[in-house]
Amino acid sequence: MTWSEFLYFAIPSILCWLGAATLIYKDSTKRISEILMIAGILIFGAFIVGLWIGQERPPLRTIGETRLWYSFFLALIGYLTFRHWKYSWLLSFSAFVACVFVCINIFKPEIHSTNLMPALQSYWFVPHVTVYILSYSMLGAATIAACIQLNKMNKTGADDRLYQFMDNIVHVGFGFLMLGLLMGAVWAKEAWGHYWSWDPKETWAFVTCAAYLVYIHMRLQKKAPRITVWVLPIAFVLLMITWIGVNYLPAAQNSIHTYSN
Amino acid sequence: MSEDKRKMWQFPWQYRESIAFVTGLITIGTLLQLVVGKFDFYLLAAPVNIIVGIVIILLLILFSLKRKSVFYQWFSGIPFSVTLIAALLIMGIIMGLIPQVVRLDPHDHSLVSLFGARQITTFWPFILVYIITLFSLGALIIRRLIAFKKRDYAFYLNHIGLWILLFAAGLGSSDMKRFVMHVQEGEAEWRVYSDNQDIIELPIAIQLNDFYMEEYSPKLVVIDRNTGEAQPTEKAEYFAIDNKRPNGQIADWNISLIKYFHEAIRNSDSTYNEVHMPGSSPAALVAAVNRKTGAENKGWVCGGNVAQLYMTLNLDSTYCIAMTQPEPKRFVSYIDVFAEDGTEYRDVELEVNKPLKIGNWMIYQYGYDNMAGKMSSYSSMELVYDPWIYPAYLGIILLALGSICLLWKGNKKKTNNDIV
Repeated sequence: MTWSEFLYFAIPSILCWLGAATLIYKDSTKRISEILMIAGILIFGAFIVGLWIGQERPPLRTIGETRLWYSFFLALIGYLTFRHWKYSWLLSFSAFVACVFVCINIFKPEIHSTNLMPALQSYWFVPHVTVYILSYSMLGAATIAACIQLNKMNKTGADDRLYQFMDNIVHVGFGFLMLGLLMGAVWAKEAWGHYWSWDPKETWAFVTCAAYLVYIHMRLQKKAPRITVWVLPIAFVLLMITWIGVNYLPAAQNSIHTYSN
Repeated sequence: MSEDKRKMWQFPWQYRESIAFVTGLITIGTLLQLVVGKFDFYLLAAPVNIIVGIVIILLLILFSLKRKSVFYQWFSGIPFSVTLIAALLIMGIIMGLIPQVVRLDPHDHSLVSLFGARQITTFWPFILVYIITLFSLGALIIRRLIAFKKRDYAFYLNHIGLWILLFAAGLGSSDMKRFVMHVQEGEAEWRVYSDNQDIIELPIAIQLNDFYMEEYSPKLVVIDRNTGEAQPTEKAEYFAIDNKRPNGQIADWNISLIKYFHEAIRNSDSTYNEVHMPGSSPAALVAAVNRKTGAENKGWVCGGNVAQLYMTLNLDSTYCIAMTQPEPKRFVSYIDVFAEDGTEYRDVELEVNKPLKIGNWMIYQYGYDNMAGKMSSYSSMELVYDPWIYPAYLGIILLALGSICLLWKGNKKKTNNDIV
């Protein structure tokens, strides 16, 4: 199988995933949604396997091939996390982002042959990025919840159910965040010689982790509730600096994490 | 409200005392920085770091005899740990905002440099907060281990993993050595230069049998013949050479690729033939049509290398088509490695992301002669010595297991039956 058959797999997968993303919100169609989600994953997985056999090597060498795995794992892990935690929005989100990556592959065919530099040709690349995408989505949801909570605190007082949601999603999101960081560390040892060299991206990842640790530990006591909830939006700003902002900081001009020209 | 009635420094201590304590610690660190200068990690080189590590563990065990005291409770408690994490966070932000340097410019007398903000990892307050964090976290782990509960496994994995990782990463950093070795093709080498440009003999010798490199197809670009600037100047456009996609556009020109040789040699009439030999370079036969004027040009374009001249295709009096230098796809050193104890590693393929491990040493493919590209006559390899990698990996594995517990269990204590 080659890229020329991509559309026959991509479009059915997108239809399945978009269907799953919308049907999940109605109790009567929940089951159909789950079946569609799994069907999408299987169809898309079949293409990856086919391409693997067709090219006689794991499809991990070009940017287009990497995006295949993003879509696949986002849908798969998103679905498993949904099964475990029952957050409907998470299923919709991962299905939608998976579709976005498929669409990039459809509409920018030149990236099928845009190749990766040697340092990025590693098995760690895909899991490292996928768990970060999932983590960011959950910590983003926690930030929205924190803003709603702050508003409620000003008006009617804190909402306990909302607290439970925030705490839970921060724990889950932080778990993914740490996995991303640790996989990055092991990969860095393989590619660059050291698992932690205080590269600007690493420094900001450290800062982000520290901020979420502050929230998690402050929530164990009920002191200074307002400051505690404020930690989440601040932490998310730090996370955004780690993800995007780093490229624009003067401190990061020599970062080994900068891959664009 | 009982907190307000309690006087400062009256037990049980809370955030106020924690913040005061850490502020004091940072002040002492800053004074040390100004008096003795930056913290010299090489003072900790083995065996000093091993002794320091044992002393830390012994102190923690001694300290745990007092674990019922209010001081121990505070020292291993939440307010103090949150304050320590916040202090590390703030120093991390400084590190992330101010460019960090490996070596300070001796003529740099700015306040930022004076206070060590250009080298936070050797900044005394950073070191002190790190050490106190090791003690605080260690004290907490011992307290919870003595009151062992099986269902706290996630706590143990995360906290013990983090402690081991911090311990190994910090104390071990002074034992770490990194050298770059340049080896000529067909020769063996065991010498490297130190930071002071002294020659050091390493216990490992590397013989480079062959250096091999694959390159990606280059790109075409329209440049200004006088300035060399890529067009359009606002945002340069590139045409990636790909036999499957022979047509494209750059600025006002429609480009079509008629022929492409990844390895080509120039003929005497300025055309190219496909020849697989050292010194060959990518070349393309290209046609370009200007969409506004209809002017048509056709000819060979070549990026050139150390063995061959480049060739451009003139479009008009101002612009021409040029070829970029190909980017590396893969580069491999075929090496034999000889360790001092007599062990040999024959026919090793060393490439990026695939290092070779020999005891506490790791050998990495590092670089090559960038000017010569695949004709490089030498290969550079980085040799990294890090005996503390095992405990560091143990910490990483425990932390990873702890993270999986976190994402699987969430904050279950309170959310068993009640999930939004």
